[in-house]
Amino acid sequence: MKRGVIIDHAILILGVLFLITPLWMAFASSTYTAQEIARDGMRFVLGDNFIGTWGDLLTGAGSMFTESEGKTGEVTAVSGLLMLKNSLILGLGFAIGKIAISMLAAYAIVYFRFPAGPFFFWIIFSSLLLPLEVRIIPSYEIVAGLGLVNSYTGLILPLIASATATFFFRQFYKQIPEEMIEAARLDNAGPIRFFIDILFPLSKTMIAAIFIIMFVVGWNQYLWPILMTTDKEFNTLLMGIKNIIYIMDDGKTPAYNQAFALAVLSVIPPVLIVVLFQSWFVKGLTESDK
Amino acid sequence: MIRFVSTLAATALLATTAQAATEITWWHAMGGKLGETVNSIVGEFNESQNACQLNATYKGGYEETMTAGIAAFRAKQAPNIIQIFDAGSATIISAKGAVTPVADLMTENGVAFDKEDYIPGVRTFYADSDGKMIGMPFNSSTPVMYYNKAALAEAGVEPPKTWEEFEIAAPKLAEKGYIALSQSHGPWIWSENFMSRHNLPMSDRNNGFDGPATKIGYNNEDLRMHFHKLKEWKDKGWYGHYGAKWDDNKVPFEKKEVAMWIGSSGSFGGLKDTTDFAFGTAGLPYWKSIVPGEPLHTFIGGAALFTFAGHEKAQNECVAQFFTHLTKPETQYFWHKETGYVPVTKAAYDLAKTDGYYDREPDAEVGILQLSEASAEWNKGYRLGFYPQIREVLYREYDKIFNGDVTVEEAFNTIEEESNELLARFAKTTGM
Amino acid sequence: MKRNQFGHSPLPYLLIAPQLLIILIFFVWPAVQSVRLSFFLEDPWGLSRSFVGFDNYTSVLSNSQYHSTALFTLFFSAVVTVLALGVALLLAVKADGIIRGAKTYRVLLIWAYAVAPAVAGMIGLFLANQHIGPLFPLFNLLWDFDNKTDSADATFWLTLVCVWKQVSVNFVYFLAGLQGIPRSVREAAALDCQSGFRRFWTVTFPLLAPTGFFLMVINITYAFFDTFPIIDTLTRGRPGGSTFTLVYKVYKDGFLGADLGGSSAQSVILMVVVMLLTIVQFRFIERKIHY
Repeated sequence: MKRGVIIDHAILILGVLFLITPLWMAFASSTYTAQEIARDGMRFVLGDNFIGTWGDLLTGAGSMFTESEGKTGEVTAVSGLLMLKNSLILGLGFAIGKIAISMLAAYAIVYFRFPAGPFFFWIIFSSLLLPLEVRIIPSYEIVAGLGLVNSYTGLILPLIASATATFFFRQFYKQIPEEMIEAARLDNAGPIRFFIDILFPLSKTMIAAIFIIMFVVGWNQYLWPILMTTDKEFNTLLMGIKNIIYIMDDGKTPAYNQAFALAVLSVIPPVLIVVLFQSWFVKGLTESDK
Repeated sequence: MIRFVSTLAATALLATTAQAATEITWWHAMGGKLGETVNSIVGEFNESQNACQLNATYKGGYEETMTAGIAAFRAKQAPNIIQIFDAGSATIISAKGAVTPVADLMTENGVAFDKEDYIPGVRTFYADSDGKMIGMPFNSSTPVMYYNKAALAEAGVEPPKTWEEFEIAAPKLAEKGYIALSQSHGPWIWSENFMSRHNLPMSDRNNGFDGPATKIGYNNEDLRMHFHKLKEWKDKGWYGHYGAKWDDNKVPFEKKEVAMWIGSSGSFGGLKDTTDFAFGTAGLPYWKSIVPGEPLHTFIGGAALFTFAGHEKAQNECVAQFFTHLTKPETQYFWHKETGYVPVTKAAYDLAKTDGYYDREPDAEVGILQLSEASAEWNKGYRLGFYPQIREVLYREYDKIFNGDVTVEEAFNTIEEESNELLARFAKTTGM
Repeated sequence: MKRNQFGHSPLPYLLIAPQLLIILIFFVWPAVQSVRLSFFLEDPWGLSRSFVGFDNYTSVLSNSQYHSTALFTLFFSAVVTVLALGVALLLAVKADGIIRGAKTYRVLLIWAYAVAPAVAGMIGLFLANQHIGPLFPLFNLLWDFDNKTDSADATFWLTLVCVWKQVSVNFVYFLAGLQGIPRSVREAAALDCQSGFRRFWTVTFPLLAPTGFFLMVINITYAFFDTFPIIDTLTRGRPGGSTFTLVYKVYKDGFLGADLGGSSAQSVILMVVVMLLTIVQFRFIERKIHY
């Protein structure tokens, strides 16, 4: 029995190491200079250039490319803080926008009998069929036609065009006991009162849970922001990641330390949210999909 | 009081002129150090005059930049200037009405323009079949061979001019523990420029200049022979294939595992920073058995700048002004020195010569000398549709040849079949 | 549907309008465009087009590279799904079984859910980089590992990174599923079967099957679509075009290659595939709700 427990722990520790080691190495490597990494590879133990790397990344003072270090005064790097801000706007805007419209739509679908209901329902749910990556050019044409290129609206709205959150809310509402609405009827409460006084308070945990999931999804958007924005002012952290990949494709050596710091920076906020609110997150993920 | 009013008026006037500066946009694919050099050229242009404000945006790699341009054009949001790479030239030049030919743009805006000012290999590549220049050549490069001087000296060999010489030098380098050769761009170096250097046709219809081509020329005896040799060299440890990305093959040279590396003449500037040994530059070797006389000039690589049509006249004027600034000998010379790309005009080349640049850096001249070698029927350029996808097919099949999945013959049959299919599709899209 | 609903009024239309509008503008219209484009050959700039009927479909479906991409996608999805589920199930069973430190393990095992696939791809790229990655020499001790030129090695590494990214989600679901098994059932099982292994197979596994099936659909969807950024950062379909998935090919041909007709046809084919997956998912989910 005792040996069994030790084996159990050993397996779990191995699992944890499997997940954490890559990110730890990325962080440890970010505390060296680019030249040290290029020469000696990635590291397990911390170096002494933490302030140097992270300072450069956050202020945009250092270039992302080793080849240019100390060469020219002009630096094209976008500051990490700006990218952080844009990622936050994207994550928050996406999560809030999606929750707001999805809650209302799901409310209409579940609690109202109206002739066009089922038809609308299927239209909304059809959006689960085709990810943005494979309809990207027609989508871009529409956003550009509406004059929304280089705007947060153009960045966020098309991403919201998906039914995942509506689906979650629909499932959740359906699990709410019938007595609730009967009680509301007895109180002579109309649909708006019912929503504000009863449904919304009941949904709080659900909203929190979906918020966490949607924030992570929005934050992690990769391809769409690259096509949608031509102004550096809109760069997100994930666009920074993509730029590093471009640079490597181009045959340049990136400043590895900053690349690793950027990777870690882009992971910290969503991970913190998931970890800090893990009970909501787990509840949201597992209960909404049932 | 009067003075106050007049100051006010003057400030207001200043403010309006500042506002009146015409804004133009340029999407480019120059990342890293190149991007910084682009920025300083743009900054210089903006400071040199008040009428125009040029905003340059880095849009990622060549393919991504072209795609962004296509998407933007379709959505009527096209930038004024876009940088399009060599492989995309058919895509943009066949788009009749989408771009204003640079020759027209310049003359319409009262700027003298003579294509004879440009060096030969540059002049023809981005021109139409009548020789009218459509794109403004910008970052122009050509494949050259860099060699580790110490390694070659250790093995007692000279940098090979021909592949026959290479076959003699390689075993000596191998003996000293070096892999003799690697190269960084299979489609560009081993295919397109194999054809130009040996005067072989890339396709029917005059390399696609006379109309959409339908037959690719790659499945020929000479190129297949070259790949049989490469495979043989690889098996003997003379040639290294480290992957499809540029860096995969360059780094072993920087780490002194490989003695000679074929890259771009534009790699010169970067390589000076990343190597800690003396390296020399030589021309792209050729097969004496295929061209018994002198070799021919290679295709220009890199990219050109195209002007999207449909913008205001004032903006086009600014574009013309910027192109004038860009092709000034001083700007070209600065660009040449900073990046290693070749100067595109004869005047800039002369400036570099009179400044004694090539006496100090003889290696920097190799690229431009190679582009100035003999012209012939098939090395003016090529204009092939969906060529970026054809390059993907080449990358894929070359990977397969080197890891032994397919034979050279099988690979080239696939290349021919898929390329011809792509060419046919492209011909249909242009409705010709 | 609810038996007890509010009656007919303009209100539901107002409530559903924002979502409906966004879906119509940003999903339905582009999707319709894709379907329409799939019957045309159009030049990249949208200057001229010609109707070609089903030509784009026949040329896609007869293309040998498309066949191998489809096969790879199936193989890759199956391997990613099995491994990601297997590892997560093992960890969940162990985390459910231990008394001390269960919460700590849970935190340490779920955080990776929040990591962007593109970031996972980039870190993976560096870890196996022949110049700076510690795994390159490590793997080379075991066999001749070269993910830049060898298809099998590239597939292996891509799969591993994709599994890494997906273990956390599966773990969350499995653990919740395990914790949902009533105490009485567990105690009875503990009395009946002494062997933990047999207990797992005879009692726990069948009870987890619904969760497992649901996760299978989720994981297949993940492998089909959400691995896109990992492929784009890690392999770009190389070497030798051996790591293309169907979604990545649509992107590569249509977006980077500017072949709108051909890639639209591919999109429509994908749409049909997803429709099938969705139907399976829906039927299953609906059944589970009414149990």
